[in-house]
Amino acid sequence: MRRIRAARLALVLALLAASMFALASPAPGEQSASLQATLTPEHLGQSTTIGFSFQITAPHGEVPAPLTDVEVRYPVDLQFALSELGLAHCTAITLESFGVPGCPPNSLMGYGTVTAEVALGPTIIPETAQVTILRTANEGEHVGLLIYAEAHTPVTTEVVMPALVLSANPPYGGGLSMKVPLLTVLPEGRPISIVKFRSTLGPQHINYYEYAKGHRIKFQPKGVPLPETCPHAGFRFAATFTFLDGTTTTTYATVPCPRAARHPR
Amino acid sequence: MTGRKLISTGIASALIVLAGSPLPATATRGQTAHFARALRATDTAYLHRIKRPGSGLIEEGTAHGNLPGTMHADLYLGGTFTATFTIYLHGGTITGNGKAAPHGTGIYESFAGTLTVTGGSGIYKNASGRAGLYGTFNRRTYALVVQTTGALSY
Repeated sequence: MRRIRAARLALVLALLAASMFALASPAPGEQSASLQATLTPEHLGQSTTIGFSFQITAPHGEVPAPLTDVEVRYPVDLQFALSELGLAHCTAITLESFGVPGCPPNSLMGYGTVTAEVALGPTIIPETAQVTILRTANEGEHVGLLIYAEAHTPVTTEVVMPALVLSANPPYGGGLSMKVPLLTVLPEGRPISIVKFRSTLGPQHINYYEYAKGHRIKFQPKGVPLPETCPHAGFRFAATFTFLDGTTTTTYATVPCPRAARHPR
Repeated sequence: MTGRKLISTGIASALIVLAGSPLPATATRGQTAHFARALRATDTAYLHRIKRPGSGLIEEGTAHGNLPGTMHADLYLGGTFTATFTIYLHGGTITGNGKAAPHGTGIYESFAGTLTVTGGSGIYKNASGRAGLYGTFNRRTYALVVQTTGALSY
């Protein structure tokens, strides 16, 4: 399910004025992508926060083709079920109606930002949105997530993107798969293109609450635990991007083993 | 995750069932007669974390019910919980695997799936069977409670 709430009118009108002659979209070149990943802290056997980011570029400074699907695969050594992340569920309807404050605090799983670009004639307009990742109900055997993006300038936009944790072949343990909705700033206009995305999945900056003996107690959830031994080639990530123009690209990233633990297992 | 514990419990239950209802014997000349047994049982295992090497989680604990014993399970808790297990019983061991889907919210994640007995040793060397696998996984302590209901032959 895709829920999109887009384009507050005033900002759309402002963009419309700036682009009266600019509805023709630029011919997209072939996109390239890069992926970065982090584990913070990176202490074997202990809880961590996974950070991942990707950047999409097109030749000659053009706006890349709109992104339609992303799958970020994570190492087999990382198992979300061993964390305390996502102890509660939120729903897309709740997010659309009330935003993140309407969701249970214990459904928060990570934060980040996403930057999109839209070409309006010769002008490329960037927009950055705050991202919140929340747990939602499973879809079949797959863990369900909601990625909520909220931007305020130049266009006020709220987007709920459903995502699933899918299985993946080794060396990957699973993949975070999300469908990216096609958002247009102008009627009949070219959809916006995501060019940067970064987010965390883990307890960093997240507080949960539980009740004990009638008291509400704040605690930091346990993140995904790192294994007690480091994989031979480090912690390997990969991401596959599919674009509206039909092209696909895959990129990789590795988090090396901690210096004190570089012994192949 | 929980799958391993579940598997262990299921196996124990299945074994219990087998012990209770002998089937017709099968034997050929020169061989010791082997009495196939079939059991239907429900059993529960309580497992706790032993180690977390690499991508897995190793848990051990006790199985209670008709086939009491000690269970060892290697779990992988991805979107689907999978496990291989060995149950140590009087007279031999039972081995198998399990697969379960997690659901629900909170610290205790429940799961449901199936357990398959693939073999064993001692008097259980010909063990086989399938069982329903149910349980809960404590995401804080990694404690696993596994209940199995099904049939086992050996």
